[in-house]
Amino acid sequence: MNSFIARRPIWSLIILVVAIALTWLVFAPWPPGFEAVFGRKKLFLNAALNGITLGGLYFLVASGFTLIFGLMRNVNLAHGSIYLLGGYFGYLAVDATGSWLFSFVVAFVVAALLGVILQVAVFRRMEGEELRQTLVTLGISIVLADLMLWAFGGNSWQIQTPTWLRGPVELPLVTAVKSSGEAVYLSYPIVRLVIFLASVVIGLAMWLVLNRTRVGMIIRAGVDDREMLAAMGAPVQLVFVIVFAFGAGLAGMAGVVGGTFQSLSPGEDTRFLLASLIVVIVGGMGSIPGAALGAIMIGLAEQVGLAYFPTYAIVLTFLIMVLVLAVRPQGLLARR
Amino acid sequence: MALAESRARGASSAASQLPWLQNLNPAAVLVAVVVLIMPAIASSFVLTQIFGWAYMLGTIALSLMFLAGYGGMVSLAQVTVAGFAGYVVAILGVNGVPGGRGWPWWLAVLAALILSTVVGAIVGALAVRTEGIYTIMITLAIAAAFYYFTNENYAIFNGHTGIDGIPTPVFLGVDWHAPIPFYYLTLFVAVLCWLAVSYVSRAPFGLALQGIRDNPRRMAALGFNVNAHRVAAYVFAALIAALGGILLVWSYGEIAPGAVSVSAAIDILVIAVVGGIGNPIGPFIGALIYAVLKTFALDVLVAFGLDGNRFRLLIGLGFLAIVFFSPDGVIGLWARWRNRLQAGSAPPQKAGDGHG
Amino acid sequence: MDSVAQRLSAVGSANALELRGVTRLFGALAALVDVSLTVRPGERRAVLGSNGAGKTTLFNCITGDFPPSSGTIRFFGEDVTAFPPQERIRRGLRRTYQISALFPRLSVLDNVYLACRGVSRGRYSFIQPRRSDALVHAAENLVQAVHLTAIKDRFVAELAYGQQRQLEIALALAGAPRLILFDEPAAGLSPTERAELIEILSSLPAYIGYIIIEHDMDVALRVVERITMMHNGRIFKEGAPQEIEADPEVQELYLGGGHA
Repeated sequence: MNSFIARRPIWSLIILVVAIALTWLVFAPWPPGFEAVFGRKKLFLNAALNGITLGGLYFLVASGFTLIFGLMRNVNLAHGSIYLLGGYFGYLAVDATGSWLFSFVVAFVVAALLGVILQVAVFRRMEGEELRQTLVTLGISIVLADLMLWAFGGNSWQIQTPTWLRGPVELPLVTAVKSSGEAVYLSYPIVRLVIFLASVVIGLAMWLVLNRTRVGMIIRAGVDDREMLAAMGAPVQLVFVIVFAFGAGLAGMAGVVGGTFQSLSPGEDTRFLLASLIVVIVGGMGSIPGAALGAIMIGLAEQVGLAYFPTYAIVLTFLIMVLVLAVRPQGLLARR
Repeated sequence: MALAESRARGASSAASQLPWLQNLNPAAVLVAVVVLIMPAIASSFVLTQIFGWAYMLGTIALSLMFLAGYGGMVSLAQVTVAGFAGYVVAILGVNGVPGGRGWPWWLAVLAALILSTVVGAIVGALAVRTEGIYTIMITLAIAAAFYYFTNENYAIFNGHTGIDGIPTPVFLGVDWHAPIPFYYLTLFVAVLCWLAVSYVSRAPFGLALQGIRDNPRRMAALGFNVNAHRVAAYVFAALIAALGGILLVWSYGEIAPGAVSVSAAIDILVIAVVGGIGNPIGPFIGALIYAVLKTFALDVLVAFGLDGNRFRLLIGLGFLAIVFFSPDGVIGLWARWRNRLQAGSAPPQKAGDGHG
Repeated sequence: MDSVAQRLSAVGSANALELRGVTRLFGALAALVDVSLTVRPGERRAVLGSNGAGKTTLFNCITGDFPPSSGTIRFFGEDVTAFPPQERIRRGLRRTYQISALFPRLSVLDNVYLACRGVSRGRYSFIQPRRSDALVHAAENLVQAVHLTAIKDRFVAELAYGQQRQLEIALALAGAPRLILFDEPAAGLSPTERAELIEILSSLPAYIGYIIIEHDMDVALRVVERITMMHNGRIFKEGAPQEIEADPEVQELYLGGGHA
């Protein structure tokens, strides 16, 4: 970080100023004049927290996507379908067993299994043909989307939040100060916070695996230079299978999360594929920290946009993508 | 490979005539004749639902083929440009939702074409910032973003409902919306675009684009501004896609976000790949297959005892089959089949036959 | 396009190529360190050195594939340090590649035509050129110059290795080159092909200078008037071929002690 500050003093100053401003916005009660212009603080806090927790969900989906793309140069256009498939199977699992936590296992296993089959039976035979592999994922997404439509119909399915996570919790964030001087604190759904924390934990775990284990080293090396990987004598095919299965499994689990936060329906696959695309474009291909940063940015952009200018919310997300492409096309936290 | 041969025959010296002249064979002439006299032998249902559609979708897919086959850039944003052009015609012209500017049709069309090239340039400028496989990602993101925007925005695009009541112009005393005139209109545009793409592929612009596809670094080292060239290709492709989009909006009389959905974008890619992105005729073959499939899928599926709604499943499976067994599409299949026939019935020809 | 006369009159008024303090870092790896080099117009130079000495990086820097981390590059008096490759090429620089960089799905003639087109106007032309077109003639002449007329319509993907290397040379001769960078042109050639290469290089007009990277000392020593030796990203010796051959340091480092 010190080298960053040394190299880019102006940007560092801007980031510092923005950080201070945000800290004040979040923790200090807003003066009435301020609220008249910018709207109520509660709206802002909700939007911000919704954005961050949504970012956690986007991170879960996008990190698998970026690993698959980064290592195997395969734009997995079926990633959104795997998300939705995991979600549906998770719903069925909850319906059958009543256990929300178990549904994660089911979703992960189903999605990972699909990933293993795809990598071993299909992509391995098209080694080196990136475009062809991507077209195959496209075909699979079409087939999966229609099969899911057939099996689950066009309605929205919602996974019930488990009773032990239901309800709100009071956060130490002041939304307003009553005339009596008493502070009003923000109430926020527990489940969203828990899921965000879980995403953070998973993200850290992934980072640890990538940076502290041998498998992780192989994966990182492969992202940097794929030809070298084979030359190193690493079990390349095995690594590919592991990464694809894990990435898919993660997306499947994210499906359960999304089904709980929001809902599952046809069209959600496209939505989360788009989110993954934008997160990876913004954050940088093959970069887990990039996926985290991109996910938070996109989640915030979406929710803040939704709160303040709903019909143009997508424009904000899109603008961020365009800006990154214009200024740093390889992504914000890309290696190069 | 027959395709390579025919292309090389056309490449005998960079100064060549239209490639199709040298490919003039009985089969092609037959197809041309059949296509021209189609209104005499087919019902208006077939004319519009199958052939008209094939020509219009084929034109849009042709724009994708131009970028992918000659430029090595797979753009999923061609449908976006086509839909955009359709929306401009709808918004600027007469429409059923009060708010149409009421411009004369030719002015609306002109505006649509000009604005579409601008959009094409923007898409191109964004897409060329990165290499290779990223193009699919970025153009898909653009396509999806435009879809979500038109879905939410009521001020300009009338949101989810879309815009209806769009008339096809009456011009030169002909009501171009009637089946037979519309058939010839779409045929004309399709043939025009197909000729343009075939011709341009052998002009310096098209040759340079192919060079960029094969080795962009070398092209820069030969004096070409690679990215400027790519953006120019996107602009040219946008023009073609816009023509297809305008015809579609006249055909349906309405336009809604569904026309620029991610499914629609993927369908055009499927059409181009299934037909074959190596040759300008490929997209039209793919579009014909798509149109036939879409029209008869219901009956075929029901006949097999399956759910009649599973059209997209068929599309997906067919697409996968092509990608697995014949990545160069139906054209590739046909070329290999023709080679096998020739090899079986005539003395084997030396590869590269007919060259200097 | 400058006429030959104009070009000849410029000869002597500026160095063809002038590198000053060029350094190129790839992360922690210093591929080029403080390289200063001067090539006169029409001069024939060889850059020699072991693998990893930085020769190809030097060429990449001169061509403009990436900017130097520091230092300047002047081409015929003009500061081209910040220019993208196409701008340098349009001013008369040419380059061949160690691994043939051709267009496999186009014919031999098309490849050369593109090279001719790249340095002249009308790159975006939508009009197909006629048979009588000047550039088509120029392309056909070039194809003939490298003895590939018999296969001018064949796809490059179908060419033999030696033919591809000849095509590489043809691409570099297109238009009106003033300085050509040949990156290991003799690599993998048979003795006959090597003799042809030497003939082509020797018969280039006097106003065209070139810098050649080579491992094959026979070819290098025969076609150049001056040699630059590189080692670990630096230039460590420069001189006439006989001097360099006889130099004890060079012999120890590069020729393996006494190897001719």
